[in-house]
Amino acid sequence: MYRKQVRRRRAVLVALIVFSLILLSSQFSEAESGPLHSIQRGVAAVLAPIGEGAERALKPARDLVNWVDETFAARGENEQLREEVAKLRAQVAADESAVGQNEQYEKMLDIDRSAAVGGFDPVTARVIGRSPTVWFSTVTIDTGSSAGIERNDAVINGDGLVGRIHEVTNNSAEVELITDPDNAVSARVVPDGPSGIVAPVAGDPEDLELDFIDKQQEIAENDILVTAGWSNGQISSAYPPEIPIGRVSATDSGQLDEFQRIHVTPFADLRQLDYVQVLTGGQERPGVPG
Amino acid sequence: MIVTKWIALRIALIVLLTVILQVSFFSYLEFFGTIPNVIPVVVVSLGLLGGGVLGAVCGFVAGLLLDSVLLQTLGVSSLVLLSVGYLAGRYREGVEITSVWVPPLLAGGFTLLAAAGFAALQLMLGVDASVSILFLREIIVQGLLAIVLAIPLYPLIRRILAPALIDYEPGRRVLMPGLRRTRRRGRSRGHSRIARTRRPVRGGVL
Repeated sequence: MYRKQVRRRRAVLVALIVFSLILLSSQFSEAESGPLHSIQRGVAAVLAPIGEGAERALKPARDLVNWVDETFAARGENEQLREEVAKLRAQVAADESAVGQNEQYEKMLDIDRSAAVGGFDPVTARVIGRSPTVWFSTVTIDTGSSAGIERNDAVINGDGLVGRIHEVTNNSAEVELITDPDNAVSARVVPDGPSGIVAPVAGDPEDLELDFIDKQQEIAENDILVTAGWSNGQISSAYPPEIPIGRVSATDSGQLDEFQRIHVTPFADLRQLDYVQVLTGGQERPGVPG
Repeated sequence: MIVTKWIALRIALIVLLTVILQVSFFSYLEFFGTIPNVIPVVVVSLGLLGGGVLGAVCGFVAGLLLDSVLLQTLGVSSLVLLSVGYLAGRYREGVEITSVWVPPLLAGGFTLLAAAGFAALQLMLGVDASVSILFLREIIVQGLLAIVLAIPLYPLIRRILAPALIDYEPGRRVLMPGLRRTRRRGRSRGHSRIARTRRPVRGGVL
């Protein structure tokens, strides 16, 4: 009897492990329209309304916990901020004269966000779920293909670029954030800085890295990066041009490195996303699957 | 544990609720720069209460649900969670839990193991990331947060599954297997007696 139980237990365990491995390898080799992906999208579609309800119901509790956490964090930041305020006061005087000049630059550089989203049909969506690990920087939103959302549509919020649509179901979609290891954005430094690829520093949601920038190129702290949105007629960037990405926080390069490493802090607070806008429609981007 | 259909339903609800709460509540919280992960804690608790097979099955289902809800690669979370669920259950089958601190510490240890296993799987699957101090911090802090989470969660799950537990002792009273508690009519609160169940308990012992 005992031996039979042991055999049954082992059989269950082995079956589950084998099934997991089959799922894993099948999903890697299967096309996006395959049966496993379809089943997964079906389950996600069924659970999305429940997740949305839970997200709405639990928001006050979540805000309360975050408020307590932020209050503790704010105490530590207080001293640091006082010092920064003193520095910034001095800087404000110098910046006043630069404001007029800056307005002209903005016109010239065309980094106005309204211009960036011009030609698109923005769909506002609520964030209803997010991945619990640093390995997948993804969030789930409460609108999907029924609202016209397609794969690879760019996602923004009031601060700047958030990511792009990775998977779509009828009433929900998965957004791959710009901090996801699978994501890379072609970007350029404004006003007339170089272009490169912005990729995440894995494990740090507040840091991006602008790569492939020659050592001779001069990039200063606080320089602003926007999406390059390039296209050569056959292949294109998934992101439309001129969407603000972030600000240069530091630059460094080793002696043996061919390129310099530019650290970029994203404008969008990717840990606290409540609402986002999906840029649907717009001009067709050759080579970007919809 | 005696798993009747009602107990199975309770377990299924626990797993479903855990995944929904993780995705829509716990994933938005951040302590010491790390998101608390409640799923391994619940899977380990179920493994400790129900044994290896139940832990493995619950871990597998929880992982499958999580990967489906987040549209992630199917099978990764299942593989990790079924392993920790099974190991927790096997531990319980071999060693008697004598202290109230053992389940939280085990939950912390197994969550740490799950986080490390998940990281190893991701690296093997080709996620382009270097093993930085941030990842190590994430894994360790997740383990520590799991200890804190398990302090209320383990007793709660134990209480929910109490009718199925052979050795459940509410307070100091000892309930024998096959017996259930009923309240006598007309008596004040707190006066209860042990009565033999009319029907034998249906279900499998795990």
